[in-house]
Amino acid sequence: MNENKPVSKVLVLEDCPAHVETIRQFCDENNLIGVKVAKSRLASALRSNFDLGAIFVSGSYGGSSEESAAIARKIHAARPELPIIMRRGTDAGPGDVPAALDAVVCGSYVASDMASLRKLIDEYIFNREYPNALVRGIAELTSAVLANLFSDMDVAVDAPCIVRDRIIFGEVFSLIPLESTWCRGYMMIQAEEEPILDLLNRRETSQGAADFRDLNSLLGELTNLIWGAFKNRYVGDADGLSHSQVQVPLLINHKQKYISFGSESPHLCFTYRLKDEQSGRTVKLHQRFAFSLSWSPEDFQEFEQAAGATIGAGELDLF
Amino acid sequence: MSKILVVDDSSTVRDEVAGFLRKNGLDVDTAVDGKDGLTKLKGSPGIKLVISDVNMPNMDGLTMVEKIRGELGNSTVNVIMLTTESSPAMKERGKAAGVKGWIVKPFKGEAVLETFRKLAG
Repeated sequence: MNENKPVSKVLVLEDCPAHVETIRQFCDENNLIGVKVAKSRLASALRSNFDLGAIFVSGSYGGSSEESAAIARKIHAARPELPIIMRRGTDAGPGDVPAALDAVVCGSYVASDMASLRKLIDEYIFNREYPNALVRGIAELTSAVLANLFSDMDVAVDAPCIVRDRIIFGEVFSLIPLESTWCRGYMMIQAEEEPILDLLNRRETSQGAADFRDLNSLLGELTNLIWGAFKNRYVGDADGLSHSQVQVPLLINHKQKYISFGSESPHLCFTYRLKDEQSGRTVKLHQRFAFSLSWSPEDFQEFEQAAGATIGAGELDLF
Repeated sequence: MSKILVVDDSSTVRDEVAGFLRKNGLDVDTAVDGKDGLTKLKGSPGIKLVISDVNMPNMDGLTMVEKIRGELGNSTVNVIMLTTESSPAMKERGKAAGVKGWIVKPFKGEAVLETFRKLAG
């Protein structure tokens, strides 16, 4: 694994033990986290993994090519954003993927040519270059905000992840635009309601039991603090702002827990875990960056605090 | 009569800041945005210190300060901005509007309490 680059999670639907090992090694060498799934647990795996980058499926998964095709079609119907990459048999050519699957499978490869799988994941998952300073910086500034806001909890962050899924984690999310000369899009913070209400109720307050409005306010301020830190570090002054008038509708389907930013580009995601050492309970927050309106990493810049500036966060700068 | 007005669209911040100040014996009122802040200030001439966020709906904090000095003609109330913004341009606009000081969030009450007491008279 290259720890300086984001990873991506892929569901691996593979019956052949030899190829499972090949895939495992491929994943390790290409910053993929492979989640191997037996056919009997596929539905449950799709439900519990909302942050996938792709699906790898063998052409005979489930026992036959017909079964494999049926599974691929079902997955595509449920999660059309996920690229499905099929492994063909050793003697099969590129044209041997059934025509009926043309609209379902985005590409195929054979086990003897893993370079072609590499090309596919570069095309469909890792098709954006994220500056290391940005990826590292987002995790740092967000962790710092969380550590300050939840000073009684341990904050841990998972490896940054590239996600094609459009599934919303949890029941509540905040959304805030990000605007600069080098990127335009949105940041989301997604969370489950109950763990946060539980956390709020465990804190001593004289205001009675916390309700969803308290959660909304906390999530709102958390988002504001992260956005502010992002802006100070990566956008700078007014000259750093984009003046584009382009906007694209966002689409949210509450019933399907689905959000679209109008673009098929993968998202950069981070998962933070806040652990209360006393109770052992954990709150999970999912942070998602959709740079859906524009992305110019060649223009990326980081603003350092001006030399000589001595006023830190929380300190009063009297004029 | 309240001597400090805390203006922030986040109830989390209002509760935190106002709660801390009240716990330390200060009179505090709150407002949810710049427009509400102007209304509260108009109705409470005893307010000596305003602690305000910048990014708020309806009316942002710096516009509120400009209107406090302009439309309300109040040149004496002290204003401290408590905000995520740290850009020099934003601070310059604050200075020009007569803002007394600037705090980049998070709020650290103990560090600023005595100054707030002095500014609130």
